[in-house]
Amino acid sequence: MITQVENPVLEIHDLTVSYDQNPVLWNVDLSLPAGSLVGILGPNGAGKSTLIKAVMGLITPTSGYVKVFDKPLNDVRARISYVPQRESVDWNFPASVLDVVMMGTYGKLGLFRRPGKKEKELALKCLEQVGMSGFAGRQISELSGGQQQRVFIARALAQEADLYLMDEPFAGVDMSTETAIFQLLQEMTASGKTVIVVHHDIHSAMTFFDWLIMLNLHLVASGPKELVMNEEMLRKTYGGKLNLLTRVTDLIRQKDFNPLKS
Amino acid sequence: MTFDSNAFLIIFTGSLIAISCGFLGVFMMLRKMSMTGDAISHAVLPGIVIGYFVSGSQRSLEVIIGAGLLGILATLMIDWLRKRARVQLDASIGITFTLLFAIGIILINLLAYKVDLDQECVLYGEIAYLPIDSWITKSGLNLGPRITWLAGLNFLFVCGFIYLLFKELILTSFDENFSSVMGIPAKGVNLALMSIVSYTTVSSFESVGAILVVALLVVPPATAFLWTKSLMPLLKLTAAMGISISVLGYYLAYWIDSSIAGMMVTVAGVLFGISVLVHSKKPMWLGGTSSVKEPFGV
Repeated sequence: MITQVENPVLEIHDLTVSYDQNPVLWNVDLSLPAGSLVGILGPNGAGKSTLIKAVMGLITPTSGYVKVFDKPLNDVRARISYVPQRESVDWNFPASVLDVVMMGTYGKLGLFRRPGKKEKELALKCLEQVGMSGFAGRQISELSGGQQQRVFIARALAQEADLYLMDEPFAGVDMSTETAIFQLLQEMTASGKTVIVVHHDIHSAMTFFDWLIMLNLHLVASGPKELVMNEEMLRKTYGGKLNLLTRVTDLIRQKDFNPLKS
Repeated sequence: MTFDSNAFLIIFTGSLIAISCGFLGVFMMLRKMSMTGDAISHAVLPGIVIGYFVSGSQRSLEVIIGAGLLGILATLMIDWLRKRARVQLDASIGITFTLLFAIGIILINLLAYKVDLDQECVLYGEIAYLPIDSWITKSGLNLGPRITWLAGLNFLFVCGFIYLLFKELILTSFDENFSSVMGIPAKGVNLALMSIVSYTTVSSFESVGAILVVALLVVPPATAFLWTKSLMPLLKLTAAMGISISVLGYYLAYWIDSSIAGMMVTVAGVLFGISVLVHSKKPMWLGGTSSVKEPFGV
């Protein structure tokens, strides 16, 4: 169940990625439309993070290629933004929240140039968007997990890119913040930007995403939410383990009631 | 007490070296690469010997180039062992620098009859001889101690390097993947840092030696990091510590008539120990920058 689109923002062609001769992603072939909020779903170890890392060139694929905005990656780096997993950095680093968000502007500044007033204002605006204005001067070692995550999202916003790739940006983020950030992402996609999110929660995935990619080493599905979000696809993605979960999902869907959200 | 120009020169040179090493050490520490500095300071030995052999002089450009190349080679080798051969970082550092250092020792012995260089001179420098080693131009003009000029030049290089690449250094230290996605070459920045560390090591080894220069790379930044969690104060504290260990180190060494470089590093170690003790009973006002305690709305 793979829907291909015309004039894709991101085109992945026959991508295979291996670690030490062991393929962790097989023949992924998909294309994504502009201006959509895309969710990548799949069980642990399905290759979700590997997929977005391969898109950004952090991992060299064994075969296949990736085209962004119909160009090779290196030509369009300034238009791509990345939210890595929170654990990938050392939060004891001596920097303030504002310093980290300003890092988002470094790519456009180029070599040797220092961030100035304009960059600072942009960073403050991005902090406001994720509800962290009051924390600008705080050291990053003094943040909670959810706050760290929001700082990373603000840093990505400061890049002012057209394609955003986010690796589990909602891990450790509370419900109200998650909803607020999802709304922010929806506003961004409404203005033509594309946001790709590795996500775990099927319930919120159904609510917020326009387009879903389901992954379990192979590509199971890629298409508009209405077409791919069904029990068959979920079962193929998560295997038999998801029986209970899909039943709950169906139930919630039929009754249009979600006890987890107010 | 009258002004002692020799004492001043030694302390001044010591401070320049300690600050240069400290500044670089801060970034090495933030990249969790302090021990790579150790590796580089030893791995440059074959480069020094070859440069010395080629040029016939201990003070030539060839020595610095040779050392710089070996420093980069050591960095690449450590990186390659870690990423490709899947050797742990500490093991790959240990393998790389001992191997290169051993090659250096063999080279010194092989070429010993041709060059005036021995292990002692590389391992233990002596800053106390600095005032008698003057830089005299061909016309006979005495410009002052050569090592002071070297240290000053090195200090300018280090400051210029950090000033120009400040944001790149910070970004690649904090989040290498993010900088790669942006197109900022993390590997290039890393190699540039390692070359300047090699250069600093070479220009310092005559005065403090290849072993003690490691202490100057590691101890002042580690001590300063106990006291502050933001970058600019961290650099300033490191510099302040560089100056104070030079002053204290010189006078203590003078007092008990011993090695100045050795005393500088001992003082650094003692200051570090005191910082650890004080820090373990940290008063409230050192708590950090948390001031916002009110809840936030999204």
